[in-house]
Amino acid sequence: MVAVFSRFYSPEEFPFLIYLTWVTSFVLFVSFVVLSTYLIKLRKALRRKEKERKDCKLSYEPFIIEYLYSSEDPKVLTERQHEIIETLKPKIQSASQRKVIISILYNLMNEVSGEMAESIKLFYYKTGLIEYGVAKLQNKNWYVIAKGIGELTRFNIKEVHQQVEPFVNHERKEVRSEAHMYMVNLFHFEGLTFLDNLDVPLSEWNQIQLLEVLQKIDNQSICDIKPWLNSKNDTVVIFALKLAEIYNQYEVNTTLLGLLNHPNKNIRIAVIDALTHLYGIEAVEKLKANFNNLSVEEQISFFQMLEKLVMPTDEPFVEAHLFHKNFDIQLLALKILKSINIDKYFEFSGLPAHKKSQAMLKLTPTN
Amino acid sequence: MDWLTTIIKIFHWLFFAYSFAAIASYIVLSFISAKETIEYLKRNSFVHYKDILSSSMSPSITIIAPAYNESLNIIENVRSLLSNHYVNYNVIIVNDGSSDDSLEKLIEAYDLVLDEHVYNEKIKTQSLRAGIFKSKNPAFEKLLVVDKENGGKADALNMGLNISNSNYVACIDVDCLLLENALQKMIKPFLEDTDGKVIAAGGVIRIANACKIKQGKLIDVNLPKNLLVQAQILEYIRAFLLGRMAWSRLNGLLVISGAFGIFDKETAIAVGGYDTNTVGEDMEIIVRMRRYMEEQNKKYKVSYIPDPLCWTEAPDNYKSFISQRNRWTRGTIETLKKHRKIGFNPNYGSFGMLSYPYWLVFERLAPIIEVVGIIYFVILVILEVVIWKYALAFLLLAYLFSVVFSIIAIYSEELTYHQYKKKGTGYKLILLSILEPFILHPFVLYAAIKGNYDYYFNKTLKWGKIERKGLATDNED
Amino acid sequence: MSKHKIVLAEDNSTLSLLLKFRLEREGYQLFLAEDGNQAIDLIQDEKPDLVLTDVMMPYKSGLEVISHIRNKLEKETPVIVFSSAGQEEMVLKAFSLGANDFMGKPFSPNELVIRVNRLLN
Repeated sequence: MVAVFSRFYSPEEFPFLIYLTWVTSFVLFVSFVVLSTYLIKLRKALRRKEKERKDCKLSYEPFIIEYLYSSEDPKVLTERQHEIIETLKPKIQSASQRKVIISILYNLMNEVSGEMAESIKLFYYKTGLIEYGVAKLQNKNWYVIAKGIGELTRFNIKEVHQQVEPFVNHERKEVRSEAHMYMVNLFHFEGLTFLDNLDVPLSEWNQIQLLEVLQKIDNQSICDIKPWLNSKNDTVVIFALKLAEIYNQYEVNTTLLGLLNHPNKNIRIAVIDALTHLYGIEAVEKLKANFNNLSVEEQISFFQMLEKLVMPTDEPFVEAHLFHKNFDIQLLALKILKSINIDKYFEFSGLPAHKKSQAMLKLTPTN
Repeated sequence: MDWLTTIIKIFHWLFFAYSFAAIASYIVLSFISAKETIEYLKRNSFVHYKDILSSSMSPSITIIAPAYNESLNIIENVRSLLSNHYVNYNVIIVNDGSSDDSLEKLIEAYDLVLDEHVYNEKIKTQSLRAGIFKSKNPAFEKLLVVDKENGGKADALNMGLNISNSNYVACIDVDCLLLENALQKMIKPFLEDTDGKVIAAGGVIRIANACKIKQGKLIDVNLPKNLLVQAQILEYIRAFLLGRMAWSRLNGLLVISGAFGIFDKETAIAVGGYDTNTVGEDMEIIVRMRRYMEEQNKKYKVSYIPDPLCWTEAPDNYKSFISQRNRWTRGTIETLKKHRKIGFNPNYGSFGMLSYPYWLVFERLAPIIEVVGIIYFVILVILEVVIWKYALAFLLLAYLFSVVFSIIAIYSEELTYHQYKKKGTGYKLILLSILEPFILHPFVLYAAIKGNYDYYFNKTLKWGKIERKGLATDNED
Repeated sequence: MSKHKIVLAEDNSTLSLLLKFRLEREGYQLFLAEDGNQAIDLIQDEKPDLVLTDVMMPYKSGLEVISHIRNKLEKETPVIVFSSAGQEEMVLKAFSLGANDFMGKPFSPNELVIRVNRLLN
């Protein structure tokens, strides 16, 4: 594949070409020797670094644990804790050691809460690690900024929020995503105010992460989501719909009914799903009247809504769609019919095979 | 004899231009790949996968793994597939008309019972045989086993596409070992993109021969003793870390390994699923999905995740190696031929003007051009018109170039994933880059030529429905 | 009276060490495992009075560890499971397999001590 054999042989008239060939070969040979030697060195260096990292971690872990257990009050340092901080402070000057210490603390913050988390935070302040963290926000490289925001999020550093806030609309999605996470991790539902002025898309990945954080917090009293439902940013609307569903926001049902005419199809589908979840019975008649103008995806979502919110009066409508061209709708219609009028369902399942819909054939095979 | 000299000269210039273009393309691709790799590492340097490991709000993924006469390892393989750390996923094992006791073993080991499962046959497939099975044991609730009539790998995957209820499907070979965080990492590009649509994401295949595997988990990575396998490791590193990485940056990937890729189910079904008439269904479906998106004028992307997430056994003897590469060659020919409309067609953008031509000229035609060159050279030797000094100079240059290129590939491995950590492996890898052109290349060439021959002249293979189709492991291009 | 034995299975080494110190101060004897396989070996060799296990671990999950204790060894050793947010499903499974208690991460080590004491005394 790679070995490109030059099957070219040249007549005498190209001495320059031949000369060039020899020179290039020589250059390649030299680079092979140099690269190989350096490769071996690189591998050694990588192994050494790995070992150093491990040793470093092993030597600092006991210090940090001792620090955490020497405390009586997480807000006041004991003498032993001062000593440990003084021992570790100089080590922090070195970038590689700082990295190891940060990673030990970082991993712990994820696992412990309460007084111990407070203690770790205090350690982060007193050793001066916080200054390195905040300095990252000024860095010209976007990935350093993102890393810095992530670190400040993990250690719960609320006082830098004014410095972090401008990053919520950053051009790199990685940076803004970290900034969003910062806002929500530290300020919970209040942190979501960044959505008011968000003019960049909020990716699905980002939305999942935010919802995950929100579900972890104890205080689940959500703020008013109506403004986001009417946002010009479609991804914000989608996110607000998810909030409405998860936090059972029955009070936004009227707003949702209005959104059934949203120009974005994906939003319309999400609205139907949300209304289904929130028992938006009013939507049934509205959608039924407009059924034939809906896209197939919306029609499927609507039948899923009916599956949950069906009334006996819907029977003629359901029956009319037993032979809809879409299989999913056929199947849903059949299932709904079964739930409201079992006799009629048996009538259809008794039909000869050639008169059945695809769904009937699958659900009620004729023997 | 004037006309003969002219012909010879034209030949020379064509060969020269081809070689030069090939070398230039390799150099350009490695630069692009270096750029993309750095960018990828930066992007992922602060992502903590553990934090987002297990959100129940993450989208559902179905793993579809076709199995044909895999009775020997099926229980363990399934167990490994069930142990992924992603929350929202299920596994569909499609038993493609196996004649062994795979199904009985699965029923026994996983407490399976027949399940009334209504699904829509959106893609036409062979019919069910024993039916669809689910486990009685809640510990295996993610598992669904489908027993169907034999129809080949593509047909089995299509059955899985029909049955899956997820938005995303991961099509994999049943004997692949997936790392626990593989699904999270692979689903990320689909969820992150807000501009256009990601239709598929491909993963890297790593070679598991000689690696220590316990209970479906990778414990220790080793460089195998077998030279053929070693050479393939180098080849895979080159192909995945340099080649595909670069093409992914250009959004020009034409193939996702059949051994591990994730697809947007809606698009995969919209194009009609896998083609059952080709041996290269993994390449064909990507080309068809891309074509579909281009024709719909929709913005799309085929993503690529370079992390070592999927490990599989590579052939360790020349016989099965050659038959594997023979099949890959036929798959490439079939795919390019079926979609020749795309080639050099500006309506298909860079897909038609760059990716397709590149594959045609440097993958599809390379072995043929090489053989023609060798024959031509032999004729010159017989006619005693070779100026050896020159011929050797060019051969040496080509050889050294390939060695240095391999070394660069090793560098990109060391600086990114550094999987072969053991002391002394470095020397072996360097030795390998020197030997690889002799261990692997002649056989790759032979297999490719044989593939061409089989495609055009061997009717039993061409109309291969007579032979019973197994599910061969297609790992790379 | 001899010390109560506790096997702790957790892949974050710092957290393991932290909990070890804390529980040893309470007068327990701790055995640390970094993954599910090690945990099962330790449980078989040391016959602990209590098992603390993370759900997500390399090689074998905490669920498999519980199932091993209850079904293979047929023991009633109390088990406390740790889980991260978003793993509610896992917690339910852990209970149905026979776990005695669970703690969602992040948790306070002091609270863990109280729960351990309650199960052992």
